[in-house]
Amino acid sequence: MLESIVEVLVFGIQRGAIFGLVGLGLALVYTSTRILNFAQGELGTVPAFVAFLIMAGFSTDTAADADRGLLLPALVVAVAVGAVLGIALYLAVIRPLGSVSPVTSLVATAGVALLLTSVEINVFQAAGRPFPRPVAGGFRLPVVDIIVEWHTIVILGVLAGVAALLAAFFKSAPGVALLATAQDPFAAELHGVPVERMRAMAWGAAGALGALAGVLGAGVFETLTPGLVTSTFLIPAFTGVVLGGITSMVGAVVGGFALGIVSQAAIEIVTALELDISGPPQLAVLLVLLAVLLVRPQGLLGRSA
Amino acid sequence: MTDLAPPPVADPGDERVGGPAAEPVVPAAAPARPARPRVVPLALILTAFLSLPLVVSATYLNVVSRAAIYGIVAISLNVLVGYAGQVSLGHAAFLGLGAFSSGYALSEMGLPFPGALLTAVLVSMGIALVLGGVALRVTGLYLALVTIAFGLFAQETLFNIRSLTGGGAGQPAPRPDLFAGDVAYAYLCIAVLALVIAFDWRLTATKAGRAIQALRDDERVAASWGIDVTGYKLLAFVISGGIAGLGGALFASVEQIVAKDDFPFSLSLTFLLMTVVGGTGNRWGVVQGGLLFAALPTLLDQLHANVHVFPFTSITATWEPAIGAVLLLLTLMMFPGGMAQQQGALLRWLGGGPFAHDPEPSGPAQGGGMGARP
Repeated sequence: MLESIVEVLVFGIQRGAIFGLVGLGLALVYTSTRILNFAQGELGTVPAFVAFLIMAGFSTDTAADADRGLLLPALVVAVAVGAVLGIALYLAVIRPLGSVSPVTSLVATAGVALLLTSVEINVFQAAGRPFPRPVAGGFRLPVVDIIVEWHTIVILGVLAGVAALLAAFFKSAPGVALLATAQDPFAAELHGVPVERMRAMAWGAAGALGALAGVLGAGVFETLTPGLVTSTFLIPAFTGVVLGGITSMVGAVVGGFALGIVSQAAIEIVTALELDISGPPQLAVLLVLLAVLLVRPQGLLGRSA
Repeated sequence: MTDLAPPPVADPGDERVGGPAAEPVVPAAAPARPARPRVVPLALILTAFLSLPLVVSATYLNVVSRAAIYGIVAISLNVLVGYAGQVSLGHAAFLGLGAFSSGYALSEMGLPFPGALLTAVLVSMGIALVLGGVALRVTGLYLALVTIAFGLFAQETLFNIRSLTGGGAGQPAPRPDLFAGDVAYAYLCIAVLALVIAFDWRLTATKAGRAIQALRDDERVAASWGIDVTGYKLLAFVISGGIAGLGGALFASVEQIVAKDDFPFSLSLTFLLMTVVGGTGNRWGVVQGGLLFAALPTLLDQLHANVHVFPFTSITATWEPAIGAVLLLLTLMMFPGGMAQQQGALLRWLGGGPFAHDPEPSGPAQGGGMGARP
């Protein structure tokens, strides 16, 4: 029993940390531009493919293998690509649309996600590519017989670093300017805040976060497939953001962890009870989302809309 | 949710383009005679469309059936996106619900075909009622999130329940004897599409239809008129789910077997794309969008095989989602009213008006819920 609980926590925290990274990007974009960014997943998958290209010596051949030694430079480039992609998405799609209804911008980002996934499939084929982790292997926990992967520790470290950076950023002048933009763009503009630049910056930061999630998330499976982050991490991350409170950065991370643990617990329960149910995480995500909307629609840490 | 400037709520265009009602489309510049639809061109277009199952080769008859079904799905999404201003990112799951319900009713319960259709509609409406009942209580786009989560749940869990869906092998869904042939079945699908269009047309003329459209334009204004915002949004979603379920039941019997791989998540995105590209808020537009996207893979393959000119030499059906997405983005930026807006003059002329674009850019034919606002 204790072992199952620890196992659920260990794996749940690993997935949850990725959900948190994706969720931070979602919350950042939502806070600054009030847009549900369905393309956030692809802001992760595309940079991950760029990282793969670098590690594979720019070969799209299906037999190409990724060189783990190049992972760090590849990660740096991927984060830069993610940031540029985020800004480009804002400048090329979101801003030209102007002040449209939230439905329209959601549909537009969904279109972008579909476009990028389709390009990935056509360039890299649908089959998965091997993708290395920064640190392979793991260590055995004392007392219970469970191995914690070093990759989990790496993801947690990255998430903590990102959270510290964001916390420091929101204390700084540009951070406050971004919050002002989010609260009232017109008033912020009157106070000399370059609203457009702040928004582009938020999208860029979301792209960089997405890239981190993409590279680390591909490492979780040690495989990279087209649309990976969208199909695996985006929806739990969205649910986590709703659970945490959609405008709350802390909530996005807390919600991400909660979703990770709940999904893992669902797998554990279904296995333990030998239930004939496939896709327990998807079932858990749907139930959590419905429960949050029923009981506490503003989320755990969010303010009432 | 909508902090945009409230546009005028009054909706002049219930009987919009192509509707055979006697309402003049241009009240200001009303012609001397009441605007009557131009019967001859309309009849020609209709005849061309209706003769499709007779002229296409046997290989593509099922594409025609599928196109009609996509048209039905487009109408279904239009009720939600174009009229109610909400969005579903999991409509493929409703198609699947309808398809599997119909298959189950036909093969496991032994119901006749109309009974299977009814089962499909009721099941889909029931699920829509539950999901919408939870998601639509809260202002915002939570329905989008709930429908995505439901779509993934359906794909991974629900459609894998062996006793209901036959697991990976699929659930047989035989056609009724009368419509067993491909041509006959294509006509059945077209006939149902016509019924759905007629239903949609009558819906927009009812109090409920107008209420739904009013809350798309501005929820707060609608609420101040005493419109039950949550209730009518829910009604729109339930109607939308029911129509999608009906489409699903027809879909099941196109290949006469339903398998879970028929409803990938990306299909939900395709449905949304075709509705927007067709022109949300305009029933003739969205149906055309549905037909276009149903035919697109076949069209691309045909062009690739027969036209040996760039870019067709390098584009195959695998690029279909990318092409759809580009069409979507171009539509949103250049013609937010979609194909209906591009054909604005033609549609007006067919409806009996002059051959000119709608002078009022915010009219429902021009953009509806998706349209750019000042």
